[in-house]
Amino acid sequence: MTTGKRRKTGALPIWASILLVIMPVAVSIAAMSIGRISYSVSEILQTIADGISGKESGGPLYIVIWNIRLPRVLLALLVGAGLSVAGCAFQSLFSNPLATPDTLGVASGTSFGAALALLMGMSLIGVQITALLLGAVAVTLTWLAGAGKNKGKGLSSVVLSGIMIGSLFNSLVSLVKFTADTETQLPAITYWLMGSLSSAGYESLKLGAPPIIIGIIILYVIRWRLNVLPLSDDEAKSLGVNVNILRVVTVICATMITASCVSMCGQVGWVGLLIPHICRMAFGNNHRSLVPASISIGACFMVIVDTIARSASAAEIPISILTAIIGAPFFIILMRRSGGWRI
Amino acid sequence: MILKIENASFGYGKDNILKNVSLTAKKGELVAILGPNGAGKTTLLRCMLGFLKWKEGKSTLDDKDIRDIPHKKLWSSIAYVPQAKNFTSAMPVTEAVLLGRTSRISFYRQPSEKDIRAVEEILSRLGISHLENKLCNEISGGELQMVLIARALASQPEILVLDEPESNLDFKNQLIVLDTLSELSSQGVTCIFNTHYPAHALSRCDKALLLFKEGNSIFGDTAAVVTEKNIESAFGVKAVIGEVDTDENTLKSITALSLSDGNEVRSDDEERIAILSIIASDFSQGERISELLHSYSRYLIGRMGMPYKKAGVNIINVTLEAPHSEVDTLLHKLSLINGVSVKATYAKKEGSF
Repeated sequence: MTTGKRRKTGALPIWASILLVIMPVAVSIAAMSIGRISYSVSEILQTIADGISGKESGGPLYIVIWNIRLPRVLLALLVGAGLSVAGCAFQSLFSNPLATPDTLGVASGTSFGAALALLMGMSLIGVQITALLLGAVAVTLTWLAGAGKNKGKGLSSVVLSGIMIGSLFNSLVSLVKFTADTETQLPAITYWLMGSLSSAGYESLKLGAPPIIIGIIILYVIRWRLNVLPLSDDEAKSLGVNVNILRVVTVICATMITASCVSMCGQVGWVGLLIPHICRMAFGNNHRSLVPASISIGACFMVIVDTIARSASAAEIPISILTAIIGAPFFIILMRRSGGWRI
Repeated sequence: MILKIENASFGYGKDNILKNVSLTAKKGELVAILGPNGAGKTTLLRCMLGFLKWKEGKSTLDDKDIRDIPHKKLWSSIAYVPQAKNFTSAMPVTEAVLLGRTSRISFYRQPSEKDIRAVEEILSRLGISHLENKLCNEISGGELQMVLIARALASQPEILVLDEPESNLDFKNQLIVLDTLSELSSQGVTCIFNTHYPAHALSRCDKALLLFKEGNSIFGDTAAVVTEKNIESAFGVKAVIGEVDTDENTLKSITALSLSDGNEVRSDDEERIAILSIIASDFSQGERISELLHSYSRYLIGRMGMPYKKAGVNIINVTLEAPHSEVDTLLHKLSLINGVSVKATYAKKEGSF
């Protein structure tokens, strides 16, 4: 296909595709070299190659890279990519620029699950599992409350019931905090809620990564179809699309991703709102390019933010604080320069 | 392909807002659906296309119930153009039109070069290639309407259904849209559209369906449906159907005079003597004209035809004695044939000869 024709179908320009593949890799390697102890890029590449070929040196370099920094960077990549693509899907689904991955109350439900598990003193994996389960419960409740009878009213009722269920679970989280022991449990819950990637390890990744990866792959494969989502019911149907199936697939993928992300690292605000809009401004509204751009830029953003979070000061800075501090100004600058966005 | 509505009724609650509606659209016909605000024109379209379910009756495509035809198959034969005012997407025109190809691309595929070529062809066919790279939210209402028509045509449908395509447009853009519809129907695409303007139906359409407030409707040849009497009872407005002479044809227009008090019903169906003068610039239309005249043979008193080879035209003169409405219908049908100019001269029957 010639470049002109390729662009007309809404595909990314070749240079952008290459850049979007290289960027996350480069950012990840850079992130692994930064930290309390700095390593050179060649040391990192060598260590990773050693690990893959099975030559475990067991030295401090090997342990720091393989057991601490690599899982953490992998988690950041997954969470950033996942939350961005989920936010992007929700914005299109509800044709609402304010939609975030939390719109259906998933993140609140997941948070409640985690808080509850922390209150009961469960292990990290236990926290993750309870969180995932309650996230699923929250979405199911939202869908049951909002969909069904109000079919004709569009998806606004689903959004509304999502907000309701979200606030319900948020108050349940407060209830848990209220009953928690102020010396040990309350700080743990509060800190967890602010979000951190410090719990990253292969055990939690084994459980949390597959839903995120599967969700991202499905949304990526059907990315061109996602363009139909913001259209009205009749319009979408008249294009020969089974809108109901498309919506259900989108909701399942996006909530699966969100619940899994939140269950591993707490509430990471902003990414799901910010990155899709940044990508809309840079690449336009066609999901054929919007989805891959969100995945790649979201992943990079998260790795960068997490690197700052763990290395800027002696104590780790909660990640939601940083996403807003770094993201908001960047977003405003871009919005002013590009003259805003439209879905 | 024949699209039909067969004795269908629809209502949201107990009462039916559409009662016993029937409609038949054959290949290449231009059909208007007329009616006052709130009579259910859009509802009729939505039921016809299966977005809403008829309470009784059905809509069929080639005698098969529309609800039994698989989604993809149905929507590659029919295309729907929604009202432009509800469209809010910030996509470039080409990409928006490309969405029209969806029914021809499988679920997990991306559009290919073939799809892009189809889109480019449609844009140039509708004369809007210059809009290609503009954003849909930055073009004018008339341009957007054309883009939506292009999107519908992108799936290469045989039937095009439009919801008020020329509302909210100025004179020029109304003409552009209507000309496009006429052009499409002459290429064999059946076009069915909702409209607020009886005049548009009169000047363009083969068939018309008029909806009354109570949910009844009449369907038939435009000139027989859109009459002063019917307009008065449907819209509650006294109107005159007048004629405007152009160089080629006598165009029908309709003017609303005043609100109707609902009491008097005019009857203007006296027998008239009429002479139709027809010039056909296209010889191949001769057969269609004879066929049409033949169906009116019981009214014919005289007929004369002569080819004027030098100018490449066929001159036909027909004298009729018929009720005014019949003459009107014939005149209207003739004027819809491509390349035919026709005018009528009338005399009252018991005149002072």
